[in-house]
Amino acid sequence: MGGMKTIIKKELADHFASYRFTIIFALIAMVSLITAYMVGWKIKTEMEGMASQSAFLLLFTLPGAMGLFSLVQFVAFFGPLVGLVLGFDTINRERNEGTLSKLLSQPIYRDVVINGKFLAGVVLITVMMVSIVLVITALGLIVMGIIPGIEEVWRIIVYLIISIIYISLWLGVAILFSILFRSPATSALAALAVWIFFSIIFPYSVSVLANNIFETVEDNPEAIAQRAKIVKVFILLSPQELYTDATATIIDPTRKSSRSIITSGAGPMESLSMARFSGPLPLIQSVLIVVPYIISLIALTVVCFAISYVVFMRQEIRSL
Amino acid sequence: MKRGKLNQPFWFISLLIAGLMILAVSSFAKAENAKLPARAITMAVEYPGVEISKDEDVSMDLIFHNKGRKDEDVEVWIADQPEDWQARIKTYRYTVTGVHVPSDDDKSLTFEAEPKENIKPGDYQFRINARTPDGKFRMSQLVTVKVTADEGQSKEPKGVKLATSYPVIRGPSDATFEFSLEVDSKLDEDAIFDLLAQGPQGWDINFKPAYESKYISSLRIKSRQSTSVAVEVKPAMGAAAGEYPINVRVSSSDAKAEADLTVILTGTYGLEVGTPSGLLSLEARAGRPANMSFYVKNTGSAANHDIKFMTFKPENWKVEFKPEKIDSIEAGDLEQVEVIIKPYEDALVGDYSVGVNVEGEKASRTIEFRTTVKASTAWGWIGIGIIVVVIGGLFGLFRWLGRR
Repeated sequence: MGGMKTIIKKELADHFASYRFTIIFALIAMVSLITAYMVGWKIKTEMEGMASQSAFLLLFTLPGAMGLFSLVQFVAFFGPLVGLVLGFDTINRERNEGTLSKLLSQPIYRDVVINGKFLAGVVLITVMMVSIVLVITALGLIVMGIIPGIEEVWRIIVYLIISIIYISLWLGVAILFSILFRSPATSALAALAVWIFFSIIFPYSVSVLANNIFETVEDNPEAIAQRAKIVKVFILLSPQELYTDATATIIDPTRKSSRSIITSGAGPMESLSMARFSGPLPLIQSVLIVVPYIISLIALTVVCFAISYVVFMRQEIRSL
Repeated sequence: MKRGKLNQPFWFISLLIAGLMILAVSSFAKAENAKLPARAITMAVEYPGVEISKDEDVSMDLIFHNKGRKDEDVEVWIADQPEDWQARIKTYRYTVTGVHVPSDDDKSLTFEAEPKENIKPGDYQFRINARTPDGKFRMSQLVTVKVTADEGQSKEPKGVKLATSYPVIRGPSDATFEFSLEVDSKLDEDAIFDLLAQGPQGWDINFKPAYESKYISSLRIKSRQSTSVAVEVKPAMGAAAGEYPINVRVSSSDAKAEADLTVILTGTYGLEVGTPSGLLSLEARAGRPANMSFYVKNTGSAANHDIKFMTFKPENWKVEFKPEKIDSIEAGDLEQVEVIIKPYEDALVGDYSVGVNVEGEKASRTIEFRTTVKASTAWGWIGIGIIVVVIGGLFGLFRWLGRR
């Protein structure tokens, strides 16, 4: 395992020195800071005198200056890009420059190379996300003057963990492509294609398909609920959807379901009955609601990495 | 000249007619007066015989009639009066001893006699004498007053009457009863009446003016008028069913009356619903039944039959009761009921309100359960299992392909 530390160190040093990382980090930090500042200011002016339990977490969920993205949505949409940019040329660049065979001629095991590179990426993502969230939190404290409670802090930590797993998944995807394709341009394009597919095309195609398959259900609430359920199952194939639903429930304690629209046949009596005691959920309940999502994300990440590992380990390297 | 001719005969004729008329009238008057005697005067009392009760006064007119041609002065006095009486002759203002009676005219004086308090029943005689100053006419008149004894009660409630149109009211023990009383004063003067009521121990009895909400304890009634008074009766807490008399009295210094009212209590209907521990919240998992027991207590004073349960719950939830209904609970008794709440399988996590309405005979109670639907931990365990398998698989790969 001695080689692993060295690999991680070298990788981190490479990344921190690269313009690529600096640019993407600067971009994300800038957008996050501006959004956080605008949202914090908005909360401060709009919520004057109101005692809201989860006012601090609104910092992450309210749409900011662009009117489009809240911080959570921003990370959901552009977080994958960070993972992709960090990983798309991990292996094939080394291979093309001929450094991979040199590296492997050193007393370093082959699996250490890929493990070390992946872990270095995860560390980098962690550092980036933690620093951004910390800065946003500090900014929120300064602008809003609201001190987050223990539970809010925990919610932020859980959110951070889910975000790191999510971005790591995309890092894994990018590394897989960098193993599969010899050319960095190809692997970058392939990774981008996957990202665009899951971010934009997939949700729309699912709902369009659902609309075409179940046509005649407009006035039947049960059928509508049924359809919504099926659509949901398909949409959950998208990691982005998994991440959005999971974080939305974690960050917003008043959300009782991962579903964005309540479709469980909720009638007026149910809403009335629920409205009677409309308190925020305890954190553990929120976590339990989204446990399947988190599990799916972790499993996807691990499986993706496992595939890269297998492919890399069985590849002929010295031939080139 | 013309005028002179006309005036003279006119004046003459009118003078003539006037002279004739004076003659005629004076001769007629002379003829009337001439029929009267020179002097004649009489005296009479209105009622020579009177019968009164003990506490009454005698008052009557004493009439003088001058039938002579001459005006007369008359001296008048009470010659004879029994002991224990105070008698006097007066005008509207003074006690008098003499009176002037013009010719051919009447004059009235008032004779008053007032008995002292402890007068005995019997006959009493008064003699009133009168004479002219020259002694030519002497008149005497006897007044007999018979005082009767009061019969039965010492004082007849003559001054005030109490009447009610519905003296008996029935209703549940926790109701407020209102009687309407008519207080009819027969007194000749305004009077203030005290209002008094006596009922069973612990009962709250108040008098109110009709259509007003303030409580009063006395009442002013003008002479010969009547007022209606409401009597508000609140039974004591926990008064048993039965008949309760209420005695109402109205009294002033010289009159009083009483009336008996009756309240019939039929018993109350009351229910109390709660849980033995006082806890009204329970936890449930979606699709799994959760138990809770509550009690139904009959707080009324009558037995309550046929108690049913109604629920206010979200759609697709199931709420069952064991037993499904209660046939009867005796007053003061408890009955334990088990409620089984089963949330909908797809119920969202959160707090729901489940209301149970316990409906008995003439009484109902609502109890609200805060049902917390918790997320199932099953997924958590499954998830941990999956993660363990996946990571185990990864380490297996490391071992298999590690090339060490």
